[in-house]
Amino acid sequence: MSLDEKFTAIRKGLLEFLVLKIISANQVYAADILKELNATEFATQEGTLYPLLSKMRREELVDYEWKESESGPPRKYYELTAKGRAALRETHDYWQKISGTVKNLGQK
Amino acid sequence: MNKVITINLNGVAYQLEEGGYDALRAYLDDATRRLEGNPDREEIITDIEQAIADKFRALLGAYKTVVNVREVTGVLDEMGPVADASSDGATAASGAAATPGQGRTADAGAARADGSTPPGARRLYRIEDGAMVAGVCNGLAAYVNLDVTIVRLAFTLLTFFWGAGVLVYLVMAVIVPAARTPTEKAAAAGMAATAQEFIKRAREGYYEGMKSFRDKQSRRAWKRKFKHEMRGWKRGYQQQQAQYWKNWSHNWQQNWNQAPQGTPPIVGPVFIAPLLSILLFALAIVMVWAIYSLVSAGSFLGVVLPAGMPLWVGILLVVVAYQLVSWPIKSARYACYYPGPHRGHGGPFGGFIGSLAGLFFLGFGIWMLDRHVPEFHQWLVELPALLHRGIDAMQAWFAKTP
Repeated sequence: MSLDEKFTAIRKGLLEFLVLKIISANQVYAADILKELNATEFATQEGTLYPLLSKMRREELVDYEWKESESGPPRKYYELTAKGRAALRETHDYWQKISGTVKNLGQK
Repeated sequence: MNKVITINLNGVAYQLEEGGYDALRAYLDDATRRLEGNPDREEIITDIEQAIADKFRALLGAYKTVVNVREVTGVLDEMGPVADASSDGATAASGAAATPGQGRTADAGAARADGSTPPGARRLYRIEDGAMVAGVCNGLAAYVNLDVTIVRLAFTLLTFFWGAGVLVYLVMAVIVPAARTPTEKAAAAGMAATAQEFIKRAREGYYEGMKSFRDKQSRRAWKRKFKHEMRGWKRGYQQQQAQYWKNWSHNWQQNWNQAPQGTPPIVGPVFIAPLLSILLFALAIVMVWAIYSLVSAGSFLGVVLPAGMPLWVGILLVVVAYQLVSWPIKSARYACYYPGPHRGHGGPFGGFIGSLAGLFFLGFGIWMLDRHVPEFHQWLVELPALLHRGIDAMQAWFAKTP
């Protein structure tokens, strides 16, 4: 079992956190998010991202706005809600905590 | 040579080879099945169709008008299988179980996520278009489906109870968000709710229909017919919504549409517009302050209400004065955003120049009359007393009626 496979579940679990982070930087539409993710180990596809975004919107973490584009139909631009920013802070702190734990365990 | 099938993805036609069509059909059917029970299924499928359409568009050019089988499967591979984000909560739950303290919050979050907020339900927003101050009454009227005048009257009446109306208004102006995007504007009037409900019910009808057909051929025909009709309804709804907002904005003698593309913005008015907004805001503050000091101290800037004049008449006068002063500014600001005579609103003076001219003539007329017609000057001097007498007469009339 390769490391890649071993960490599939972890990467999947972190996806929402990373999407929150990307959206927090500026208003983006789905393809921007994919482009940013696909440059990393967290590469994903529309088939995963769209349902995730709609779930996050249902949970009121993100909201979108229709904007005209130069090429083609209007696009949904996502941004964080106040609740989304709070969730991002909370997740970030939690992530700091567990990555600290991973680093420090077993070290004397 | 391959047969070509034309499909419609969110209103744009694409030509696919037959094998590609079957692959796409299978992909979308699979996605629909996987999202079974997801409240946003329609929306996700639309988004996915949109993304596929974008990818197709990138492949096509002036001399290439058909997407072939290989390209369709390539695009679908790129898209990846649709995974319902709500159903993979299992991993999140097991992660949370390790830390008992957080298990409960995760559960609560999940329960709420599946729970009761239906998408597109009517929401309370401030509607700033056609607003007098901050659009609170306007939004509230849309929310409870009442005429805005009634809501405004209710707020004014509330003001007599220790200024409660003003307080509530100020608090709501701060708390309630303003409707900015078309979606929010639709939600403010509960438009989306009905449409979503309608589409949902139609979809249910579709699955009922699917059950009633035995053979594959007629199922396929039904499916195609249904898709076609859905597109028609969707378009019809969009047109209806557009019409609705057109009527709505017409009522407010305003136009919510963007300025037509290609018209160069007129620098002067666009520069003036923010200044006018600030002026309007300042006026609104002065009005609120005037009402507040009338209620609390019975006077405003040292001007005491004439003896016998009830408080509500004073407040009404302030509001009327505010309306009179702000109306030309409002229409001037409006004209800044939507220049051109054909877009002018239905007021007596359409357009920026028109409203400025109107204001000027009004002032000039009064000034001329005051200077050259002694009777008018006399009348102006006596106006406060005259008003006072009129109010006294009204009061006497009110006192007599019961």
